[in-house]
Amino acid sequence: MFDRIFESKITAYILIIVILFLAMGPIYWTVTTGFKPDMETYVFPPIYFPKHPTLEPFRLLFEYYPFANYVRNSIIVTLSTTVIVTVFGMFAAYGLSLYRFKGANAVLYFLVFTRIIPPLSLLLPFYIVVANLGLQDRLLSMILANIYLTYPFAVLIIKSFFDRFPRDLVDAGIVDGCSRTGVLLRIVLPVSATGIASSAIISFLWTWNEFIYAFVFTSTSRSQPVTVGCFDAIGDIFVSWNQICAGGTIAALPGILFVLFAQRYLVQGLSAGALKF
Amino acid sequence: MKVSDKTYGFLLNVPGLLIVVFWVVFPAGLLILTSFLRYNNLSPIVFNGLQNYKRLFSDRLLWISLQNAAIFSGGTTALTFIGGLLLALALAGIKTGSATFRSLMIIPWAVPPIVSGIIWKWIFSPDFGVLSDILMKMRLISAPVSIYSNTNLAMVGIIVADSWTRIPFMGIILLAALLSIDRELYDAAKIDGAGALGRFGYVSLPLIRGPMFVGLMITIMFSFRTIDIIIPLTAGGPGRATYVFGYLIYDQLIKTLNFGVMAAAGMLLFGITTVISMLMLSLSRR
Repeated sequence: MFDRIFESKITAYILIIVILFLAMGPIYWTVTTGFKPDMETYVFPPIYFPKHPTLEPFRLLFEYYPFANYVRNSIIVTLSTTVIVTVFGMFAAYGLSLYRFKGANAVLYFLVFTRIIPPLSLLLPFYIVVANLGLQDRLLSMILANIYLTYPFAVLIIKSFFDRFPRDLVDAGIVDGCSRTGVLLRIVLPVSATGIASSAIISFLWTWNEFIYAFVFTSTSRSQPVTVGCFDAIGDIFVSWNQICAGGTIAALPGILFVLFAQRYLVQGLSAGALKF
Repeated sequence: MKVSDKTYGFLLNVPGLLIVVFWVVFPAGLLILTSFLRYNNLSPIVFNGLQNYKRLFSDRLLWISLQNAAIFSGGTTALTFIGGLLLALALAGIKTGSATFRSLMIIPWAVPPIVSGIIWKWIFSPDFGVLSDILMKMRLISAPVSIYSNTNLAMVGIIVADSWTRIPFMGIILLAALLSIDRELYDAAKIDGAGALGRFGYVSLPLIRGPMFVGLMITIMFSFRTIDIIIPLTAGGPGRATYVFGYLIYDQLIKTLNFGVMAAAGMLLFGITTVISMLMLSLSRR
C-alpha cells in the first residue's frame, strides 16, 4: 500500500503542483503587483487578481526614477563581462583540454581554488584597488570584478564539454591543413556550442544578478546597475511598492527568459560545472 | 614559427591566468597584508601585528554573528536539501510535462538574490503581506503576523527566503544524479523484495551520494556567507537576530570603515569556508 502511494504518478504530480505553487507564487505575486494601481497595492486582504491592470508603475519608475540608466548600465556591464569571460575561457579551456601542458593540473586546481575564496572576503581588497585606480562609480570596476567572479567557472564548464570531444577529429583537422586555432573555431566550436552557450548564459546571469560589489563600487545612477537600483528603491519613500515590484520584475526578467527558453543549457552547464567543483 | 602543442596549450591560458593572478592573487595578498595593518581611515596606516584579530575575537558581536550564520546556514541547508530531494524525486517520477515543470522550478534560482530579498519583504509585509492573508484564510493565524518584530520568526523568514532561491540548484543536481541510475538496479532490488523506501535507501541514496555531498557543500558554503537576501529583508534585525557573519564584514566597509578588522574578518570567513569544504570533501570520499 505504502509502496504504491510512494511510487504512484499521482503522488509525484501532487508534489509537483505543491512545489510549483511555492516556487512560482512569489514570482506571480511580484509580477502582478508591478501591474497594479496604488489602490489595489495597499489593501488588506490583498487582491490576488489585479482588477485594473496598468503599466503606470513601470511608467513612473522610468519617468521619476533613473531606471533607464540602471538598465543601460546593467546591459553594458553584463555583455562586456560575458564576452570577455567566454572568449578567454574558451581559449583557456581548449588549451587545458586538448593540449595538456606541464602545470595544466596546477592551473585547474588554482581555478577551483579561486571558487572557494568567498567573494565577500575579497570585497575589501577589491574596493581598495578600485579606489586607488580611480574606478569608483565606473562601469569598468564592475566588469573587472565580475570577470574575477565568473571566469574560473566558465573555464571549468567549457573544459568539461571539450573533454568529451574526440581527439581523433582534432588530429584529422590538423592533417587536413587546419591550424590549431582553426580546428578550435571550425571543428571543436560548432560541436561544443552547447557548452559555450551554457557558460555564456551562466556568466551573463551571475553578472546581471550581482549586487554587493556593484553596491560598494558605485554611488550614482551613472554607473549603478539594476540590482542596486532596486535596492535603492526600497529605501526611497517616493517609490511605492507596485513600482518596486515593477523594478524587481525588470531585474528578474533576463533570468526568467533564459530559464524558459534556454533551460537545457542552464541545466547542462550547472551540472557540468557543479560536479567539477 | 610554430610552437609545440604543449606551449600552444599554455599560451592559450596566459591571458586568463594574467586576469586571475591580478584579480585573485593580488587581492588575496592585499587581504592578508591589510589584516595586519591599522587601517581605519582615521589615522595613518601602520603595521600593528595581530591587533585586528584580537579586536575581532574580543568583539561580542563576532560570536553573535557566527552563531546566527551557523543557525541560518544549517536551517537553509536542511530545508534546501529536503525541498531539493522532493523536487528531484517528483520530477524523476514523471515523464509528461517534465521539461516544462523543470523550467518553472528553476526560475527562483535565476532571480537576483537582492530581488528575492525584496520579493519576500513584500510577501512578509506586516500590513499588506500576502503570506499573513493566506495563513489567516487557512485559519492558522488569526491576525497578520510581522516577522520583523519577533527574533525567531525573522530567522525563519530569512531561512525560507534563502532556501527558496537554493532549492532549484539542489534539485537540478539531485535530479541529474537520480536520472543517471540504471533502471535495472531498481528492478533487481524489487525482485530481492525491497520496498519503495528500501530501494530509495539501498539503491538511490548510495548512488547519488557524490553529487549530494557536492550540493550540500555548495549550499552550506554559500548560505554561510550570504547577505544579498538579508540586506533588504531584515537588515540584520530585529536587534541582532539576523545579523550573520557576512553582515559583520559588510558593516566594516559600510559603517565603521575599519578596514583592518574587516580584512581579519575576511580571513576568518575564508578559513571557515575552507574547513567546511575540506570536511565535506573528506566525507564524500569515505
